[in-house]
Amino acid sequence: MGGVQIGALLDVFLPRTRTMVVVLYVGLFAMSFDFVSGYTGYLSFGHAMFYGIGAYFVALAGTGKIPGLAPDAPFMLMLIGGALVAFLIAVAVGAVSFRLTGVYFAMVTLGFAEVSHVFIRNWDYVGSNPRDGVGVVGREGFAIGIPGIDALQFRLGRLTGDSFDNVLGTGLDLGTVEVSYYAVGAVVLLSYFAMQRIIHSPFGRVMVAIRENEERAKAVGYNTFWYKLGAFGISGFFAGIAGALFTGYRRSVAPENTFDLFVTADALLAAIIGGFGTLAGALYGHLFHEFVRGILSTESHGLARFLRDALPESVLTAGAGDLTVLQFINVFVDGRAELYLGLIFIAFVLFVPRGILGALRDRLGGTVAEKLPERLDRYRR
Amino acid sequence: MTGLSLLADGLPLFAPIGITLDALSKAALYIVIASGLSLIFGLMGVLNFAHGSLTMLGAYLGGAVMVGLVSAGTGQIARLLLFFVAVAAVFAILTGFGAAIEVTLIRPIYDREPLFQILLTFGLVLVLDEAARIVVELGGLRPQTEWQAAIGTAPDFLANRYDILGASARGLLFFEMLVGLLVVTAIFLFLTRTRYGLYIRAGSEDPEMTQALGIDVRRAFTVVFGVGAGLAGVAGVLLMWDPRFGASVPLGVETLLIAFIVVIIGGLGSFKGTVVAGLLVGLVDALMTWLFINYIDFPGLPELVLFLVLVVVLIARPKGLFGIAEVGGH
Repeated sequence: MGGVQIGALLDVFLPRTRTMVVVLYVGLFAMSFDFVSGYTGYLSFGHAMFYGIGAYFVALAGTGKIPGLAPDAPFMLMLIGGALVAFLIAVAVGAVSFRLTGVYFAMVTLGFAEVSHVFIRNWDYVGSNPRDGVGVVGREGFAIGIPGIDALQFRLGRLTGDSFDNVLGTGLDLGTVEVSYYAVGAVVLLSYFAMQRIIHSPFGRVMVAIRENEERAKAVGYNTFWYKLGAFGISGFFAGIAGALFTGYRRSVAPENTFDLFVTADALLAAIIGGFGTLAGALYGHLFHEFVRGILSTESHGLARFLRDALPESVLTAGAGDLTVLQFINVFVDGRAELYLGLIFIAFVLFVPRGILGALRDRLGGTVAEKLPERLDRYRR
Repeated sequence: MTGLSLLADGLPLFAPIGITLDALSKAALYIVIASGLSLIFGLMGVLNFAHGSLTMLGAYLGGAVMVGLVSAGTGQIARLLLFFVAVAAVFAILTGFGAAIEVTLIRPIYDREPLFQILLTFGLVLVLDEAARIVVELGGLRPQTEWQAAIGTAPDFLANRYDILGASARGLLFFEMLVGLLVVTAIFLFLTRTRYGLYIRAGSEDPEMTQALGIDVRRAFTVVFGVGAGLAGVAGVLLMWDPRFGASVPLGVETLLIAFIVVIIGGLGSFKGTVVAGLLVGLVDALMTWLFINYIDFPGLPELVLFLVLVVVLIARPKGLFGIAEVGGH
């Protein structure tokens, strides 16, 4: 490995900026899932529905298919609109589903989500071939910002968008991906603070009380049904924002990457690995997820490509019988993220049930923000 | 292939008889798919998310056994008998696998909330599906497309059509009904005539009392989880002769959703409920498929309606049709 550059090694392990944009909006989705499931204890197995509603609302608005909303309306308006629709649907679904508890609640939410999944896959209003989803073409990229002030509008996009040279005379250049990163990040950060605020309000305390002992919360006099419904609606709202950001950035949606059960699974994975019931944990959980996926991706910066380039020929062809090291890499490393994520996930469920952030908090005896300064102080003396 | 509703190739068009035949064959498939999940859920309250993936493994394994055993010269009756050899082999393999999973992975977390058991089996889905994908790709197959080589091993008299009271149906439909009946009978005997059957029935009525009576619930859990996994595999083998299915990695999710619908509608801890729900779901699916072919132009109709049935039943009867207790809390 003598000739390996540190830079090349870091290139394999550090996520790209464009990956980080995905981490942000999917992380927001995972946080919205954790908001209701981690704090009230009701496992919402159909959460992808709300993400999908936000995503499809923006896609349909962008192609002029939402009555009363012009295709060139500000993106922030579409985002709020999608989130509100997701909120309303979440309240409607919750009103019915919260008659049930436990596994039955998880199943009825899954049932609702699958109904919407099947529906969107076959609804020909979406496009001529609804199975393939819909692409927003023929307009410039969506812009995040404050509507009405052109200077505070930043176009985002996976392939195009705004870029700035020499920002405010500091000599820093921001490419299109960086602009998207900060613009999406601003919305995600704001949403995170909003959810955090709710969790630390009296309302949020009741959510935790429901998780810990619903009977007692009821006995103390709280109408737990309304609190659960409220939490579910709010969660749907932020899941809708995450979905809207997804479409805003990618400018195309498909049933498989919005309404699918495996989209809910991504949120579940992120929430468990990051720490169930720790709002920020979901974001770290998804960062971890994308980190593993990035390393094991088939793309040029993946570990497989790196190993094939870095290992000498003699090592690559070594091995017993048909299975050489090269073949091993091709079969078991290249693009096999799901396998290892599944194993990691099982390990977390078995051994680290509180997740990364939860375990860290247990170790520190409080939240990181509270305890870290004390710890650092101790080492300074 | 999409979702639950796979149009029967050549659905009999003479309405009442044709729909009934289609409904019964679908019900048989659905009951077999759901029965293993129902046993595990009934005794242990564990909603095994990996059930569909085990079915998918069963389909590939069963198909591989049949393709390996059957050659051009194999007689028609011999093929039918070899099918049951494949069933037995797959049942044995997956029962052992299921028992091993229970002992190593699920046993350590019984004392935690039921949520964690769902999560753990969910992790298994990711691992099993990806492992299957690796093996399938090594075998030169494409995991997303159905592998239908095993259909060729079905005897000709199952592929032929027969006329019944004016409707025409493939022999396969009757074969599926027959196997469904066999499986239901076998499980019924297992539940009523064996010691573990007694444990299951007692355990789903009142787990604490069962334990207090000195029954080794741990071993019962291992046996039941194994049998449940084995039944998932049997369901997979049954699907491999059906041109509406065929082995593929996404088959796991597809059958899992069917199994959920049937078990939840039937209610926890009730095998009778599972059978009745299977019949109901089969009938609804057949009716909706017929409506779609003849009247309503919406391809997702049967699948959509099945989930609506699930939602409506849960709202009207939160414990399912024959459910004994609401599980889990949360």
